[in-house]
Amino acid sequence: MSSPAAGVVSLEVSQIRVRRGDRLALDQVSFSLPPGSFTALVGPNGAGKSTLLQALEGQLSLAGGSIQLHGQALTPALAREHLALMPQRGEIAWSFPITVSELVGLGRLSSKRPGCCDVEAALQRVGLAGLGGRRLDQLSGGQQQRALLARTLVQSAQILLLDEPFAAIDPPSRQELLRVMGQLRDAGMTLLVSSHDWGRDLDAYDRVLVLDRELLADGTPQEVRHALGDLRVGNHCCG
Amino acid sequence: MVALVVGCLCPLTGTLLLLQRRLFLANLVSHAVLPGLALALALQLDPGVGGVVSGVAGALLAERFSRADRPGEGGDEAVLNTVLAGFLGLGVLLIPLLGLRVDLEAVLFGDLLAATGFDLLRGLLSLGAMLLLVGLRYRQYVYLGVDPLGAASAGLPVRRLRLLLTLVTACTVVSAMTAVGVVLVIGLMAAPALLALAGASSLRQALWRAALVGIALSGFGFWLAIQPSVNLPPGPLIGVLCLVLLPLGPLLHRDR
Repeated sequence: MSSPAAGVVSLEVSQIRVRRGDRLALDQVSFSLPPGSFTALVGPNGAGKSTLLQALEGQLSLAGGSIQLHGQALTPALAREHLALMPQRGEIAWSFPITVSELVGLGRLSSKRPGCCDVEAALQRVGLAGLGGRRLDQLSGGQQQRALLARTLVQSAQILLLDEPFAAIDPPSRQELLRVMGQLRDAGMTLLVSSHDWGRDLDAYDRVLVLDRELLADGTPQEVRHALGDLRVGNHCCG
Repeated sequence: MVALVVGCLCPLTGTLLLLQRRLFLANLVSHAVLPGLALALALQLDPGVGGVVSGVAGALLAERFSRADRPGEGGDEAVLNTVLAGFLGLGVLLIPLLGLRVDLEAVLFGDLLAATGFDLLRGLLSLGAMLLLVGLRYRQYVYLGVDPLGAASAGLPVRRLRLLLTLVTACTVVSAMTAVGVVLVIGLMAAPALLALAGASSLRQALWRAALVGIALSGFGFWLAIQPSVNLPPGPLIGVLCLVLLPLGPLLHRDR
C-alpha cells in the first residue's frame, strides 16, 4: 500500500476500549496525531500507556472504538508499514551476543520498503556512528536506547511509538535522546513517547497526553499542567 | 564417532535454546521422550521416532498451559515440572505394563559402548536438521532471542519458529540417548553454551564455539572412560566433566 501524500500519515484514535483479561485497560480514549508532531504520553504505572502503544501498533484487538491511519482502518499489515514501536528496556535481552549493527539491521525484517534500511545512516542519525561493530552489552544505557531507536528508524515508518525510552538512563543520556527525537520531529516524523516523567523535560514536547485508563488531559505542556492542577491529580498521576 | 556427533549437536541446540530463554524445554523434552520410546518399542517401531513424537507432545502440552508470551516464567515452572514428572512416570509405568524388556538405566544415562551405525545416522540427521534450521532462519532466531515481542510485532512466525526448535530439541535428545542418555543430555546442552557465550559477539560465533567445546568435551569424556585405568560409563563421566566447565564461563567473561 502506498501513502496518499508522500510519506505524510496521520493517526486518528476514536473512543477505543481495550481489555486485558477481565480488566478494562483503556476506556474511551480519543486523540489524533498530526504529521510531524512530537507528543508525550504520560501516566502512572498501569495507566495503559504500553497497552495503548501496542494497540496502535495493531498487536491488540479493540473492545470498542476505532483507529484510523490516514482515513483507513488500521490493520496489523498497515501498522507494520507505517508505524514502528521501540519497546521498553525490560523487553530486550541486552546480554544477547549481537553487535549494534546487527541489532539495528533486524529492523529490515519488519520493512518491505525498497530503499530503506540503511543501518549506517540510522546509526549516524542517533549519534552512534562508528559504534556499529561494538557488542550491544558494551554500550551505556543511553547508547543502548539510541541503538534501539536506530533499529526503529531502519523500519522506515513515519510514525514512531517509543515505550518508556528514558527508563533507567542518566540525565545527560536523556537530554541526548530528547535532542535526537527533536531532530526526527524536525525531519517530519511523528513521535509518540510514553514516559513517567513529569519534569522540565516535558517542555521539549509539542503536546502532552495524560492517560490513566482514560484520557485525563490533552494539550501543550503548559495547558496540561494547568488542567492537572485543577483536577488535583498531578501528584497521583505523574509525581 | 557418535560421541563426537552428539558432542557437536547438543551444544548447538542448547545454545539456541538458552538464547531464546527456553533451555527449560530441553529438560522437559529429555524426560518426555520416555513414554514414546516405550510405546514405539511395544509397536516394534524405531524408538527414536516414538521419542520425538512423545517429546514434542510433552512440550506442546506444557506450552498449552503456560503463558504464551513469557514462556518459562512464574507459574510456568510448575506446569513444566508437572508435565515432566507426568511423562517420566508414564514412561516408567509403560515398561512393565507393556511387558517390555528395556534397560532403563541405559536409556536414562546412556550406553555409548553399545552405539550402532543407526545411532550415528540418527545423530547425523538431527545435526543436519539443526544446521538447516539455523542456516535458513538465523536472523529470525536472533530477533526472537533479543526481542521476542518485537519479533512478534514485526510479523515473524513466532509460533512456527518455536515449534521447529521444539522438534529439533526432541531429535537432539533422542540422538543423544545412546551417548549420554536422555537425562544427562541437558548437561551437554547447557555447559558448552555457557562457555561459548562468554564474550561472543554474535549468535553464529557462540554456536561455533559451543560446538567445538562440546566435541572436545564429549570426545575427551569418551576417551577417558574407556581407559583401562578409568573404565567408567562414558555418559555419567561426560556429565561430571560438564560440571568442571561451570567455573570457566565466569572466568572467561571476567577476562574480556
